[in-house]
Amino acid sequence: MRFRAALLSTALIGAAFVGESPLAFAQQNPERDVFFGQTHVHTSWSFDAYIFGNTLTGPEEAYKYALGEPIKHPAGYMVQIKSPLDFQAVTDHSEYAGTVRLANDPSSAISKLPIAEKLKVKSKEDIQKIYLWLGTTITKNEPIKELVSPEVAGTVWKQVVAIADKYYQPGKFTTFVAYEWTSTPANRNMHRNIIFLDSKKVPDLPFSSIDSTHPEDLWTWMDGQREAGNELLAISHNANLSDGIMFPIDVDNKGRPIDAAWAQQRILNEPLTEIQQLKGASETHPALSPDDEFAGHEILTYLLGGIDRAPRIHGSYIREAYQNGLAMQETLGHNPYKLGVVGASDSHNTAISYSESNFFGGHGLMDGTAEVRLSGKKEANLDMALLSTSGLAGVWAEENTREAIFAGMQRKETFGTSGVRIKVRLFGGWDFGPDAANDNDWVKTAYAQGVPMGGDLPAMAGKAPTFIVWAVKDPEDGNLDRIQIIKGWTKSGQIFEKVYDVAWSDDRQPDPATGRVPPVGNTVDIANATYANSIGSVELKAVWTDPAFDPALNAFYYARVLQIPTPRWTTIQAHQLGQVPPSNVPLTVQERAWSSPIWYTPSDDARKSATRSVMVAELQQQGAVALDDAQLKELVVGKTLKVRNTATGQAFEILYGTDGRRLITNVDGRQPEAGELGDVLHSGELGAPAFYEIGNGRITTTLGNAPFDVTVYKLADKYVAARSSEFGYANYELEPVAP
Amino acid sequence: MPDDHAAARRPTSLNRWLREPLLLFVAAGIVLFAGYSALQPAAAPEEAPDRIELTKDDLRQLAVAWTAQWKRPPTMQEMQGLIDGKVREEILYREALAMGLDRDDTIVKRRLAQKMEFLAEDMSALRDPSTDELKAWFAASGERFALPGRVSFRHLYFSPDRRGSGTVHAATAALRELESSPGASAATGAFGDPFMFQWFYGDRSPKEVADVFGAEFAHRVFALTPGSWQGPIESGLGWHLVWVDSIAPSRVPAFDEVEPLVRSEWLDEQRAAAKETAFEAMRARYDVFVPAASTLDVSGIAAPQETASR
Repeated sequence: MRFRAALLSTALIGAAFVGESPLAFAQQNPERDVFFGQTHVHTSWSFDAYIFGNTLTGPEEAYKYALGEPIKHPAGYMVQIKSPLDFQAVTDHSEYAGTVRLANDPSSAISKLPIAEKLKVKSKEDIQKIYLWLGTTITKNEPIKELVSPEVAGTVWKQVVAIADKYYQPGKFTTFVAYEWTSTPANRNMHRNIIFLDSKKVPDLPFSSIDSTHPEDLWTWMDGQREAGNELLAISHNANLSDGIMFPIDVDNKGRPIDAAWAQQRILNEPLTEIQQLKGASETHPALSPDDEFAGHEILTYLLGGIDRAPRIHGSYIREAYQNGLAMQETLGHNPYKLGVVGASDSHNTAISYSESNFFGGHGLMDGTAEVRLSGKKEANLDMALLSTSGLAGVWAEENTREAIFAGMQRKETFGTSGVRIKVRLFGGWDFGPDAANDNDWVKTAYAQGVPMGGDLPAMAGKAPTFIVWAVKDPEDGNLDRIQIIKGWTKSGQIFEKVYDVAWSDDRQPDPATGRVPPVGNTVDIANATYANSIGSVELKAVWTDPAFDPALNAFYYARVLQIPTPRWTTIQAHQLGQVPPSNVPLTVQERAWSSPIWYTPSDDARKSATRSVMVAELQQQGAVALDDAQLKELVVGKTLKVRNTATGQAFEILYGTDGRRLITNVDGRQPEAGELGDVLHSGELGAPAFYEIGNGRITTTLGNAPFDVTVYKLADKYVAARSSEFGYANYELEPVAP
Repeated sequence: MPDDHAAARRPTSLNRWLREPLLLFVAAGIVLFAGYSALQPAAAPEEAPDRIELTKDDLRQLAVAWTAQWKRPPTMQEMQGLIDGKVREEILYREALAMGLDRDDTIVKRRLAQKMEFLAEDMSALRDPSTDELKAWFAASGERFALPGRVSFRHLYFSPDRRGSGTVHAATAALRELESSPGASAATGAFGDPFMFQWFYGDRSPKEVADVFGAEFAHRVFALTPGSWQGPIESGLGWHLVWVDSIAPSRVPAFDEVEPLVRSEWLDEQRAAAKETAFEAMRARYDVFVPAASTLDVSGIAAPQETASR
């Protein structure tokens, strides 16, 4: 107890020194330290959190909790963080911020307004009623004028800023003025958290989704803030719940074609995205990464508000956005998705649970007890057993100050974790030797000769890039299984990925054929919800050179660090309740950390040396004509077509049945494998025979909830096809097979 | 209902409310209670049950609230509507009280109870403590302002990645060797394995040690005696032999160092305590008779149907 009391006083004491000589505490480390923190938490000041039953604790308590002080969970019990944080941003919703709380406080000015009567929570039934009412006014963009007037909203915002300043202890604990921009068009999550560098020039009011639901308008407002000397950045979250609109490739949120200006404005304002939080992971989806055996981690298929519709997968995951971003870099000259990652929470409890062993939900009374969480009962159509623990952000910075941590976020020297404190470093360079990570001061050399995570490899010819990757386990959690490097690249508008195991624990041998390292094993005792660190490593390190580097192609590389399997929170709490764990979630989890990528962009010379497919524009210049519906039907219906993918050289045979279904019958002269079946014209999708339609001059196949269009051009006696989402390339040569 | 009645201007969702006479009465009661206690402390004379009087200040308050909602002052006609509505509300409120409609109404009860809580908190928040008062309080509760202890230590690391299940034995063996060695205080990497972070940690708080090694290790290091190799101690990263150079124990700072913090903590505590004291005083005036919670069987009580979501 003395120990805890001491921690607590560390937290309290710093506040007294604010404004005197803040920098006296800071010590700069040029090789940078890792700081763990949180960029996404709600308190009772968020209109929805209040309504979920979090009525008592505000931003002050959020900072106290992060510093190690116990606070009260909305369900009435005390909760305390296991390891205090280094930094935190409290991100209450800007929409109606604080107003529900103040309407329920008879001493406030807001409670005297007639409108306050409608916001008062008098019974359990009021909770949902007020939530839906306020939520609907936001989604329909018909705000309640009294609550967004500067007199009301400005008062709350001033307090948000003052509290952030009160708890900032440079060198010890960093706070950021922040809020969440909560745009949810048609139940699709487009939310962003906005983080301000400092509090000196913050605006009188935040820009909320009531001002506009379009991220483009948010960025324009952010540009204006920056010009006025108020530096800020946005972190998007829950791409997985965006129904495909978080990472668009054709048209923006206003329906305009995406161009270089859009890409530039986006990446300038939005350098980061959340890779895991309470509502699931957004790295990738098994349907997008069928060859990635660890892609199924904490997948949540859901749309806000609980509407009964399967969300679109394409456009909803970060790895695919990285890949498409490369293609956009190549075709537009700008990559809007050169994003770094953080892990975050989105808890609406003021307090946050990071650990599987201490999970207390994130939505007030809706998931406040183990019984409710494991009951299988759905709230807003969501089974609470599907929730993940909160994620955590790691930032490499010279010191624990607003300036240093914000700069780390801006240069994307960040990583996200599933809540554990795995520490991970990644450096890329051209001159790292095989012993580059062996010296005591290898980090110094790595900075001098390479670039850290979030950076760009400088142009270079004649060799392949080498990466140093290093990870140390969370001292309070499971050992490490392996480090992987995930590489993505693009060619002729098509996207590719490969997962390499580069460092692993114990004496395992990679499979000679696939290069894959076998599973680490499993020490989890399900019945008792325990595990043992008798397998796995404390520290893993590797120097790895890309064995398949093509200097002509855009590429990215990021590290993923996996822990050994440990019991998922649902398994632990089922054990505590004497129940069987729920069957709709895994029994165990492999906690993990993801680094921000390092990007490679070929020089103009290197690009010119690449062989690439013809572009549609070039075909048209040569006099090619697109087939109309009748010609398409004549060409494909009831026929088998030989298709050659000119980007990969792969050859397919596709049977377009008269029953409206089409089937890939042959890939490179053999029977297709599972991952190749659902494909329109090249591989990458799971599925069985798919339906196709011909209309508007296109063959349309719908896969994974997303339509893919194929246009066929005739040039002299040859047929060349272009597929949507391939950035203007015509990658397919068609040849009817004689019956 | 007259066309210019303020309530009739609200969106139609409220109309349903207005068709509920009971709710209407209750709402009227709430408005009056809040208005009466917060805004009109002295203006109204002793109330007679059959006398209703609005002052000019009352009217101004009506106009202020109206302006806040509609962003312009009310017209004369609108003002008259507000006044009529207020009088009507007052009459209905008193009739409701006379009929006892406020009794056994959960909404009214909770609202009034909540109001009492806020009142108790407000009263204590008004007073600023004197320095002497703060000093006395600090002297009595200084422990909560204690600065964390600091430790400086060296350690030798024994890596489970390299040594597996033999790690702790290797550490124990190394300790024996060090104990019989004259130059033990200068022992370096000749013992143990390379460590991924630092060999020496100077002037660290418990949090700083825990961030590297885990909380349990930090706890144990702060309990060591300086000046000899001790262990093996397990951390989250493996086994260690530890030489503590110095420990500065947790200390309570001087009042002057932390006065602003003491003041803010004092206010927080007073606010919370006043709430409790006020309640205790009220509680003392009541005899409360309730059966023990355990005497009730709740297993047979069915939960109400879930509200339909969107």
